[in-house]
Amino acid sequence: PAALPPAPLGFTDVNLNSRNTYEVSRRRSAPEHLPHGGTAPAEPAPPPQEPAERARHRLGIAGAGSSFAEFFTRNFFTKRTKELKPAVQSAPGWKLFGKVPPRENLPKDSKIIQQEYEARTGRMYKPPPPSARRKNIEFEPLSTTALILEDRPANLPAKSVEEALRHRQEYDEMVAEAKKREIKEAHKRKKIMRERFKQEENIASAMVIWVNEILPNWEGMRATRRVRELWWQGLPPSVRGKVWSLAVGNELNITPELYEIFLSRAKERWKSFSETSSENDIEDAGASVADREASLELIKLDISRTFPSLYIFQKGGPYHDLLHSVLGAYTCYRPDVGYVQGMSFIAAVLILNLEEADAFIAFANLLNKPCQLAFFRVDHSMMLKYFAAFEVFFEENLPRLFLHFKSYSLTPDIYLIDWIFTLYSKSLPLDLACRVWDVFCRDGEEFLFRTGLGILRLYEDILLQMDFIHIAQFLTKLPEDITSEKLFSCIAAIQMQNSNKKWAQVFASLMKDNKEGDKNHSPAPKS
Amino acid sequence: MGSAEEDYNFVFKVVLIGESGVGKTNLLSRFTRNEFNHDSRTTIGVEFSTRTILVGDAVVKAQIWDTAGLERYRAITSAYYRGAVGALVVFDITKHQTYDVVDRWLKELYDHAEASIVVMLVGNKTDLAQAREVPMEEAKMFADNNGLLFVETSALDSTNVEEAFETILKEIFHKVQKQKQRSSQSNTVSLASESPTSTAPAQAERRPCCVAL
Repeated sequence: PAALPPAPLGFTDVNLNSRNTYEVSRRRSAPEHLPHGGTAPAEPAPPPQEPAERARHRLGIAGAGSSFAEFFTRNFFTKRTKELKPAVQSAPGWKLFGKVPPRENLPKDSKIIQQEYEARTGRMYKPPPPSARRKNIEFEPLSTTALILEDRPANLPAKSVEEALRHRQEYDEMVAEAKKREIKEAHKRKKIMRERFKQEENIASAMVIWVNEILPNWEGMRATRRVRELWWQGLPPSVRGKVWSLAVGNELNITPELYEIFLSRAKERWKSFSETSSENDIEDAGASVADREASLELIKLDISRTFPSLYIFQKGGPYHDLLHSVLGAYTCYRPDVGYVQGMSFIAAVLILNLEEADAFIAFANLLNKPCQLAFFRVDHSMMLKYFAAFEVFFEENLPRLFLHFKSYSLTPDIYLIDWIFTLYSKSLPLDLACRVWDVFCRDGEEFLFRTGLGILRLYEDILLQMDFIHIAQFLTKLPEDITSEKLFSCIAAIQMQNSNKKWAQVFASLMKDNKEGDKNHSPAPKS
Repeated sequence: MGSAEEDYNFVFKVVLIGESGVGKTNLLSRFTRNEFNHDSRTTIGVEFSTRTILVGDAVVKAQIWDTAGLERYRAITSAYYRGAVGALVVFDITKHQTYDVVDRWLKELYDHAEASIVVMLVGNKTDLAQAREVPMEEAKMFADNNGLLFVETSALDSTNVEEAFETILKEIFHKVQKQKQRSSQSNTVSLASESPTSTAPAQAERRPCCVAL
C-alpha cells in the first residue's frame, strides 16, 4: 500500500457501522480530496483535535506508533485497497466511483498529491514496525466493550483526569444499563415460559375434563354453564375435531360410505374430464358442463392457494390429495352449490383437525347452515340481510366507528365477505381462527358477526384515524400479530343485544320487512 | 397511515377484473409493492392497494380494487365497479378460456360502471411464452375493435406492469382534464357526475380534485 498516502484527517467521522465501510474505502481510494479539504463532498478537513479525538476514543485504537490511516488500510480494508491499487495508481481513483462529483483541477496523479501532502504536513509515510502491525491485525473490534477497554492510542496525548473519569463513568453506566436490560429480558422470558407452562397445564387439565366428563355425556352437558365457559377458553387441540363434529352435528346423515361413493364419482369425473378435451362440449348443456369443468379446474387452482405458507396443501404436500378429495366429493354431493372460492379454506381447517370422512361430514353439514348456504350460494339478498343485521349491532356497540364508516360510505360487505366466507381462516392466524371456530360451533352464526365486531373494537382507535381506502386495506389484510387474549376480550365486550332483541330476532325482523324493500338497509354500494 | 405522503391532486379508482387465476393480485402487488408471490392466496370479495404516481406535474393516487374472479361472486363484485374511472380486464395468454370470456367481463363492466370508464385489456403471463394460447395480434385486434387499450404483461418478470398502470392512469388523467375544460366552459364545475356519497366514497376524500368521469 505504499501508493496510498496516510490520510489521518479523513477518518474523523468513521464509526463502526458496517454501512460506512464502503464510505470509508471509497474515500480511501480518493485520497486526493483530503489535502485540499473544503470543497470535497467528503467531510471537510476537521480541526485536527476535536473529532479525530472523539473517533479515536470511540474506536479505542492502539496506534502503537503507526498512523491512524495505516490501521484502517491494514485491518478493515486490506482487501479492498489491494483491489483498488492499480486503479489508484493509473488514474484518479475517485473517478471509478462516480458518486463523487469531479473538481476543477483534476488530473493529478495520486502520487503527486501524496507528495504535496507530505510536503505540507511535513510527515513522511513510513511503514510501521512489523510488531505493531501484527498487533493491529490481531485486533478485531468485535464488540463495543472490547473497543472501550482497549488502551488509548499511545500516540495521543493522555486524557485529562476529568475526561477519563467521565468516560469511565459513562462506560459503567452503559454496562449497568445493559445488565439491567438483560435481567429484565430474562424476567420477561421467564414470565412467558411460566405462562406457556400454565397454559399447557390448563390445556392438559381441560383435556381431561373434556375426554372424561364432557364427551361421554355430550348431550346432557354441552349446554351447561360450566361447559360453555370451558368452551370459551378454547378447545384443547386433541379434542377440537371431535367437539366440532359433535357441535356441527350430522343433520344430513352422511356416512363414511356415502363419502366414498361421492369421492369415487368425483374421481371418475376427473378422469373423464382429463380424457376429453374441452373441444367437444355439447352446445345445449354447454353452460352447466362448462361450469362444472370450471369448478374442477378451480378446485385445482385454489388448492395451491390455500394456506400456501403451511406448504401442506400444495402439490406434493401431504394433504394436497385429501383436500382435493373432500372438495371434489362435495361438488358431486351438492351440485346445486358446487365449488365456491372460500370453501377450500374451510375444508383445509377441518382436514387439519379431523379424519378424512369426518372432515367431509362436518364440511357438508357446516355448509348446510343457513348463513353458510346463503353465502356460498351467493344469495345476494340474503347476504344483505346478514350485513344489515351486523350493522344493527355495529351501531349499538361501536357508535362512533359506525358513524365514521358511514361517513365514508364504507359498507360491511367490503370486509365481511372475506371473513364470513372463510370463517376467518384466511384473515386471522390459524390458531386464532380455530379458537373462533370453537365458539362458532358453540354459538352459531351469531358468533361470526360478533367476532367481526370484536375485530373492529380491537382496532377502533386506529380505524377512527383512517380514511376509506386505509380502512378497507386494513380490514382486508389484518395485522398478523393479533393475539387471542386481546381479540377475545374485545369479542367478550361486544353485546349481542339490541333493545332486548337478540341476533336471531333482529335477523328475523329484517327478513320480515324484506318485502317492503331493502332500500334503507342495503349496505352494498348499490343504492 | 394517512399521513403527509398522501399529498395528491387526484384519486382514481381503478378495478381489476378477469377470471380466477389470471394473476390480478400479482399484477397489483408487482405494481404497488414490487412483489410477486407464486402461491398468493385466493382473493375472496375484494382487496385494496394504492400507489401514487406523477402524471405530468399532477400527483395521481391510484386506488385499485382487486376483485375476486369467481363467476359466482360477480353479483357481489359488480357492485364495486361503481365510481371506477378505469378498469383492467385481465386474461391469461396461456389459457384461451380466460380470453374467451373477456366479452362477458366487458358487458358486466359496462352494465355497472359509468360509460366513460377507461378500459385496458391486459394479457398476463408473457413469461410463459412457450404455453401461449392467445396470439397477441388477436387480442390486440379485439382491443382495437372495442376501443380498449391493450398491453401484454408479466407480473412474474415485471414486463410492462408499470407501463400498463401508467398508461391507463395517464389516459384517465387526460380524459379528466378534457372534461374539466368542457365543464369550466359551460361554467358548471361538477367534479363528480353523481352525488359524491353515492359514488365511490374514496373519491370524496378531503382533496379538492377527486374525480369521477
